[in-house]
Amino acid sequence: MIRSLLGSSGGTGFSLTLAALAVTAALLVATLAGVGPSGFLVNIIGQLAAFALLALALDLIWGYLGILSLGHGLFFAIGGYVMAMHLLMHSFETTGTVPDFMQFMGWKEFPAYWAGLGVFPYALAVALVLAGVVALVTGWVSFRSRVGGVYFAIITQALVYAAMLLMFRNDTGFGGNNGMTGFSVIFGLRMGTETASAVLALASVVVLALGLVATRALVSGRLGRLMLATRDDEVRLRSLGYDTIVLKTGVWVVSALLAAIAGMLYVPQVGIVNPRILSPELSLEIAVWVAIGGRGHLVGAVIGAVLVNALKFWLSFAAPDVWPFILSALIVLVVLVFPNGLLDLSRGFGALKARMRREGVASLDPRRAGP
Amino acid sequence: MSALLIDDISVEFGRFRAIDRLSLAIDYGEIRGVIGPNGAGKTTVLDVVSGITRPKAGRVVLDGGLEITRASETLIARSGVRRKFQKPSVFDALTAAENVAVGVEGRLRRTAPAAEVRRRALDLLDAVGLADEADRQAGEFSHGQKQWLEIAMVLGGDPKVLLLDEPVAGLSDEETEKTAALVRSLKRPDRAIVVVEHDMGFVETIADRVTVLHEGRTLFEGSMAGARADARVIEVYLGR
Amino acid sequence: MLRIAAVLIGLIFATAAGAAPLERDPTLRGLCGNAAASGEAADRLLSATPTLSPDDLAFADAAIGGLLSKKLVCPAAPTDPVALKADTGAVDLATGAPLAALPKGKAPVVSLKNRAKFERLAAALALLAAPNAAARAAALEVLAKSAADVPADLFAAAAGREPDPALAARISSVADLASLYGTDIDKRVAAVARLAEGENRRVLTEIEALRADPAYASEPAFAAAVDAAAAKVSGAIAIGNAAATLYNGLSFASILFMASIGLAIIFGLMGVINLAQGEFIMIGAYVTYVVQEGLRALLPGLLDWYLVIAIPFAFLVTALIGIALEASLIRHLYRRPLMSLLATWAVSLFLINLVRVGFGTQNLQMETPFYITGGIAIVGDFIMTWNRLFAIGFAALTLAGTWFLIRRSGIGLDIRAVTQNRDMAGCIGIPTRRVDMLAFGFGSGLAGLAGLALSPIYNVNPQMGTNFIIDSFMVVVLGGVGSIAGTVIAALGIGQINVLIEPIWGAVAAKVIVLALIIAFLQWRPEGFFTVAGRRK
Repeated sequence: MIRSLLGSSGGTGFSLTLAALAVTAALLVATLAGVGPSGFLVNIIGQLAAFALLALALDLIWGYLGILSLGHGLFFAIGGYVMAMHLLMHSFETTGTVPDFMQFMGWKEFPAYWAGLGVFPYALAVALVLAGVVALVTGWVSFRSRVGGVYFAIITQALVYAAMLLMFRNDTGFGGNNGMTGFSVIFGLRMGTETASAVLALASVVVLALGLVATRALVSGRLGRLMLATRDDEVRLRSLGYDTIVLKTGVWVVSALLAAIAGMLYVPQVGIVNPRILSPELSLEIAVWVAIGGRGHLVGAVIGAVLVNALKFWLSFAAPDVWPFILSALIVLVVLVFPNGLLDLSRGFGALKARMRREGVASLDPRRAGP
Repeated sequence: MSALLIDDISVEFGRFRAIDRLSLAIDYGEIRGVIGPNGAGKTTVLDVVSGITRPKAGRVVLDGGLEITRASETLIARSGVRRKFQKPSVFDALTAAENVAVGVEGRLRRTAPAAEVRRRALDLLDAVGLADEADRQAGEFSHGQKQWLEIAMVLGGDPKVLLLDEPVAGLSDEETEKTAALVRSLKRPDRAIVVVEHDMGFVETIADRVTVLHEGRTLFEGSMAGARADARVIEVYLGR
Repeated sequence: MLRIAAVLIGLIFATAAGAAPLERDPTLRGLCGNAAASGEAADRLLSATPTLSPDDLAFADAAIGGLLSKKLVCPAAPTDPVALKADTGAVDLATGAPLAALPKGKAPVVSLKNRAKFERLAAALALLAAPNAAARAAALEVLAKSAADVPADLFAAAAGREPDPALAARISSVADLASLYGTDIDKRVAAVARLAEGENRRVLTEIEALRADPAYASEPAFAAAVDAAAAKVSGAIAIGNAAATLYNGLSFASILFMASIGLAIIFGLMGVINLAQGEFIMIGAYVTYVVQEGLRALLPGLLDWYLVIAIPFAFLVTALIGIALEASLIRHLYRRPLMSLLATWAVSLFLINLVRVGFGTQNLQMETPFYITGGIAIVGDFIMTWNRLFAIGFAALTLAGTWFLIRRSGIGLDIRAVTQNRDMAGCIGIPTRRVDMLAFGFGSGLAGLAGLALSPIYNVNPQMGTNFIIDSFMVVVLGGVGSIAGTVIAALGIGQINVLIEPIWGAVAAKVIVLALIIAFLQWRPEGFFTVAGRRK
């Protein structure tokens, strides 16, 4: 089953995943008609889809370009915060009740730069432009000076950490420690109703499917080959006349946009955004989902995100203290025994053992284990 | 008018002077062998020309006018310089044909229809004797096959200046001979070829002229026979 | 005749020495007189207090105390002695002899006008003679309120015989204040100069207040003294502030250095960033805590020395954990540095939660031994605190030890060789894997020591390490991989920049600006300060 899901170039895994997403979407439509899964499950499905999209964004640059970002939470948060602003503004405009957030901030009215955020297309554009510009600047500056590998990973983590510190301050103007919450209306629907949850979850699943199709189109084409070439030997590629800085920055921006969209889908489903979305731990966890699912496999990233988070949701209820131990054990297992995540599992243990004997654990699969 | 003019360059790594006021001029239609003991600065010269290392002083000029001293690797490659690295550098995740196609296109933007690019890639693979391996993944290739694949890849850009860094390192005698024939066949009136090698015999078979480097400076320049007879060259190679 | 002469000479001498015996009876009669007479007697007594003998002091104290508590009896007949009511009967105040009967008379009432005068007098006597320090301190506070009306030599005398140094200092400063606001310009000028010796912000405020004093406008000498004193004190404060900033920066840098040196060695050697480095710091602090508790239970006499006794434990425990980590996990990841980030993060997650389960999430109570309590005032408001000096000194020792190990020992030579060229080092017979393991252990041990040095000045809890990894990596990036000198300079630089920016824009801005500076720096020198560029391998 996993094998066929992940089956690499044949595309069966891809088709199966799309089919699974289609079934999920159909179930959510059934919920809208009043016969599908219950509200809680719907909400979980929606959150998982948002996380899967986030994992997809990271896999694009890590799996295909070999650039690990430990700060993707930054773009996720940009989407999330802009969405929260949209929801507050939209709720205010439709119901007329002043949100707690404004009282908490001591505002009589929304500041000028909030103007228009109540209109969703504008909010979407703001989130994308903001995430895009931040990605463009950070990417261009880093890639231009050949910052890569571990350096890039830690610098992106420092970025997200600095952003978290900034947002924790009340005078930054986005709710500080408390963040933003108390959204009452989305697209004219009352938040918290079964319908709103199902619509949000459906939107997340559909966007995830679209994201999967789009990123697959990107990586399986000519640019995808150039991305792999950049990952394998960037200097070689540059010395053939390619401007890898443009390529890397471009893909970095695309990845940031996907992460921002994931954030916009995620925040209304949890009903709150606060600086903890910017914690280095979340950004590291994204990398863990991708590593567990299998780097360089878009479907793997989706499955990794869904499995790890489903486990996390379940354990958070069943045994909250155990989760960090399970997570660290999972990471060590993936790093030591299954460097390609579930992909290795799909290849069967027999082949794995033979490889371990032959090559030693460290270089299970030099082609994919790469950087 | 030189195809490639290296004018009075110096390179320093910390306090170590790897290249010391070196000048070299290579003409179109020429195959130049650059030899020298370990640490003579051979690879560093190629690094300077291909833009990987910035010299402390001096300049590199192409085609009698275009200065590339401080240009990026990308820009230098686009002005017609191609380099095969010492350690065979191919893209392991791509097939042989895809590798060469990457070399043929040379730009992020698509410049020619995919079918045409592939045809040209297959021609080049044929030229280096890898036609049968076109759709195998490069990661599975032997060392020698990688060397040839990389040569095919750099030829894809139709270079005016071709830099080959130790093309026969680690090859068997038979493979070396095959490579020598290949390099000779690359000689064209509108192309300058620089071959850096340890193997004096190989250089003798292919090079029109040789430059002997020692401690970052030119020790000798002329024919291979002349180099073999030169007292200083003998001392550098044998005297230590 | 001779006797008279001798008594006269004795009197002169006694007067010269300032110890004229009090004429008790006239004093008492004055106190018993009308408001004017009793006020005059009080003034005379007050001005005499500094030179009174202990006997006379006791007498005066009894008299004034009796007067204020209405136990003094002024006789109706001028020939009767002034008496003091005792619990049973009465005494002749002037002689101290018991009286058979309380003389006829009345207790004098202190007029409203004289009330303050008598209270001051009582305080002056208490300051000189009260047996307990608290009473003397209370008396001083009474006197300080009207210091200008107290004879200057009273304070000098009191300060001279005061056994408690803190109280003596306080008496002197009150005295200075008294002469500062007195009427004698020369004394005021001298007091200003004395005041300026205490170089801190409070003194500066006092000196600057003098500019509003009428004398500042009328007396050029006074004005000049005030201006000179203000300039001197503000100069010292500026120097003190600069020194304090440098000192704080230095202590922050020391902690940064200790947190990063292990990271730098490991990164240089193996290209592995150990994200669990912060947790090794945390473990070091917890080991220190365990040692502290162990001493408390077994050897309470040595409790104060737990910071010293814990040194080998903090180092060895973290080093062993590091070695175990290297042997089980890190060595499989040398060619996959990005995966090693995830793996070491997993370790950090594990360690945090293990400690959380074992010790709980609250901050640990660390003792503050006497040798890191308080500090020494250097200049201006700058106090060199011992706890920060401890961290700085500890970092200096760590630096010396690390330098010695890397530069002078056999294993250090191996570490340097493997850092520069792993393959070649392997070829000439250096056991690279063993070197990796030992170096990793050493780097981890250094983090443990950092935790020890931090434990008395930082909150010790399971999360404490997470704040360090980013700062430490910035130090490593800036200093150049695997360079001790680079790590020192980068730690100093980042430490000072942080401390300089913090008071202006806040701690968050400091972090953001340091990050921006480092990214800008990488544009200019991607290899860091101290790494030598090499050619493509």
